[in-house]
Amino acid sequence: MKYYLLQLGCQMNISDGERVKSVLRSIGYAEAEDEREADLLGIIACSVRQKAIDKVYHRIHTWNRTKRDRNVLTFLSGCVLPSDREKLADRFDLIFTINELPRLPQLIATCGVVTPAALQASNYDRSSAADRESPPVTERTPARTTADGRARMFTPAFAGPHGVTEDIRDGFWRVEPTRTSDFDAYVPIQNGCDKFCTFCAVPYTRGREVSRSSDDILAEVEDLVARGYRSITLLGQNVNSYGLDKRSAEMRFAQLLDAVGQVTAGHDVWVYFTSPHPRDMTREVIETVAAHDTIANQIHLPIQSGDDKVLIRMNRNYRVVDYRRVVGVIRELLPQATLFTDVIVGFSGETDAQFQRTRAAMEEFAYNMAYIAIYSPRPGAASSRWRDDVPEREKKQRLAELTEVLKRSAKAANEALVGREVTVLIEGRDRKPEYLRARTEGRIPVRVNAGAGLHVGRFARVRIASAQALSLGAVPVRVGAAV
Amino acid sequence: MHRVHAIRRLSDDSYVLRFDRHGLVFEPGQYVSVGAGGDVDMREYSVYSGVEQDFLEILVRKVASGYVSRRLARLAPGDEVSVDGPFGYFTIEPEFRGAKHVFIATGTGISPFHNFALSYPRLDYRVLHGIRTLEDRYEHALFGRRYLSCVSRGAGGDYAGRVTAYLRDGAIDPATRYYLCGNCDMIYECFDILQTAGVPHHNLFAEVYF
Repeated sequence: MKYYLLQLGCQMNISDGERVKSVLRSIGYAEAEDEREADLLGIIACSVRQKAIDKVYHRIHTWNRTKRDRNVLTFLSGCVLPSDREKLADRFDLIFTINELPRLPQLIATCGVVTPAALQASNYDRSSAADRESPPVTERTPARTTADGRARMFTPAFAGPHGVTEDIRDGFWRVEPTRTSDFDAYVPIQNGCDKFCTFCAVPYTRGREVSRSSDDILAEVEDLVARGYRSITLLGQNVNSYGLDKRSAEMRFAQLLDAVGQVTAGHDVWVYFTSPHPRDMTREVIETVAAHDTIANQIHLPIQSGDDKVLIRMNRNYRVVDYRRVVGVIRELLPQATLFTDVIVGFSGETDAQFQRTRAAMEEFAYNMAYIAIYSPRPGAASSRWRDDVPEREKKQRLAELTEVLKRSAKAANEALVGREVTVLIEGRDRKPEYLRARTEGRIPVRVNAGAGLHVGRFARVRIASAQALSLGAVPVRVGAAV
Repeated sequence: MHRVHAIRRLSDDSYVLRFDRHGLVFEPGQYVSVGAGGDVDMREYSVYSGVEQDFLEILVRKVASGYVSRRLARLAPGDEVSVDGPFGYFTIEPEFRGAKHVFIATGTGISPFHNFALSYPRLDYRVLHGIRTLEDRYEHALFGRRYLSCVSRGAGGDYAGRVTAYLRDGAIDPATRYYLCGNCDMIYECFDILQTAGVPHHNLFAEVYF
C-alpha cells in the first residue's frame, strides 16, 4: 500500500511531514512517487496565506473526484484554522492536528483500512470496544465518515492547553522522523506561538507555545551527529522563547543552545536555529553562539517593519531602537555572521513614509538575505479584519525597492569574500552538470565547479571566485576539510 | 474549562464576564484567550480583574460582526468557557511601580488599567479615557479622582472632545510613563503627540485592540 503526502508551507511543516511519514511507514505504507499510485492521500496544510488553503480545497476536490474510479483514503493535518477544519470536515476522510499524529494508525483502522501493523494498532486502542470486537476487514469499506458524512476528527486542537501539551510531549515528538536528507536535519524544539502578531494565524492553528523536553532534543541532536549529519536546524515559531512555558522546570534557550554546543563540540557540523523573535533575543544567546564553533555564524532576525507605529499595529512588541541594539550585539560578538530577516510590505495602513523607514532600516542593517513578503490578509489573523488598503501596484513597487536594497547590501558582502578560501557544505547537483550546489556557513548559496572528491553532504574547502547579489561562485581547493 | 460566575451588564453593548480562575497565574496587563465552552473560536481579552482576586473577569464589547463577543454575551452562570494564556507584555516592571504613569484608553481599552488599579493600589497614575458617550465610562468609580473622561459625541464628562485633543492641549511630562491601549488610530496619534513633546521611546507603551 502506498501513500502520497503533499507538504505545503514552512520548515515546521517539512519537519512535521517527516514524522507523518514514519507513522505511515510503521503501518506498512510505502511512499508513492506519484499521487495516482497512492491508496492514501494526505496534505500537511499551511495557513500563512489564503492561497495555501485554496490549494487544499483544490486538491481535495480533485482527489474526491478520483474516488469515483479508485478506492482512496484522504487526510488533512498541519496548520489549519479551526474554521477551515469545520469547513473541510465533509471533504476529507480524516482530519487530525499534528500533535494527534501518534493516534493516526487507530484512526486509519477505524476507516476500515487494514494493514498488519494497523490491525495491531487498533487492538491497542482500549477506548473503542467496537473496534476490537469487529471482525478483521480485508478490504476498505465505503463508510469512512461519521454518520453525518463528516470526517472523523480527534478532539479539537484547542480543547484545552493541557491536553495539547501532553499530546505533544508524550506523543508527537517521540515519533522518529523519516529524514528526507542524510546530512541536513530539522529538530523541532517547540510548537505553537504566544506572540499574537496581528498578521499571523499561527497561534490559532498551532495553539500556544509548548517546549519540547531538552533531554529529548539533546538526544536527537547527539544521534544526528553520531550519524554524520552536517547541518542541524533547531526549529520553532519563536525558538528563543524556548522553555518560558515551563517556567523554572526547563532550560532557557541560551542554556539549550549551550548544551547543544557541548554535545556537538569536536564534530563537523553546523547548528542553526530559526526563527527567533527580536524581543527575546538576549545578549546571552548571542554570546552562546559565539562561544561554540559548531553553532553557525548565521542569525535570522525578522524585523517585519522599520517603522515603530507599524510594529505596534503588528503587535511585535519591540521598537526599531530595540532591534538596532540586538543587531549591534550581533555585529560586536559575531562579526563574521550573516544576518537574515523577514519583511512585510504593504501592511494594512502602511503609509509611504512608514515604508521609507523600513527601507532605511534595510539599508542600515545591510542584510545578507531578506524574505520580503507582500502583505495579504491571512484568514484568522487579527489584521484580516482591517482594510487591506495599500494598492497592489504600490505593494509591488515597495517589494521591488526593498529587493534592490537587499541586492546591494548582499552583493557588497559577497564581493568581500571573493578570493577568500571558505568551507562550504555540498548540497546537491546544480541544474548544469558541471556545477554543484553548496552553501557557506552563513547560508549563502554557492555554485561550485564539480570536481573529483566532492560529495553531496560533505564539507569542502573552496575559493570564492565570483560574487552575485544573492549567491557566490567558487572553485574547489581541497575536499573533506574540517569546519 | 472555567465555569461562568456572572455577567455584569455595563451598557447596551458591553459587559463584564466573570469566571473561574483555576489558579491561572498572570501579570497585571496581560490578556487571555477566551471562547464559549465547546466552541472552536476564541478571542483575546485583557484581564479586567485584579491579580489578587480568585476569579477572572474580562470586559467585552459586543461587536456587530463578531462571533465570540456575541456568543459570550449569551452565557449564563454555570456555563463554561475555554481560557488560554496569559499572553502579552503590556505590564509594569517592578522597578517602575513607583514611577508616575498616565494611562490612555479608548473604549474597552480601559481593561488593563482597571487591572493595574486593582492590582497595584499604591500606583501613581492618571487615566484618560476616550469615549463616545458617558455610558462608556464603565466602572470608572474605581479610579476615583484619577479618572478623566474625554467624551467625543454625547454631553457631559470631564472634557468635551477626543482624548488626543485633551493630550495635545495639556502639559506633557517626558519623565512620566505613558501606557496607550485601544484603537490603533488613537495610539498612532498619541504616539506622535508624545514623541513630539519629548517623551522618550522607553516611556511609551502600547497595546492595540483588534
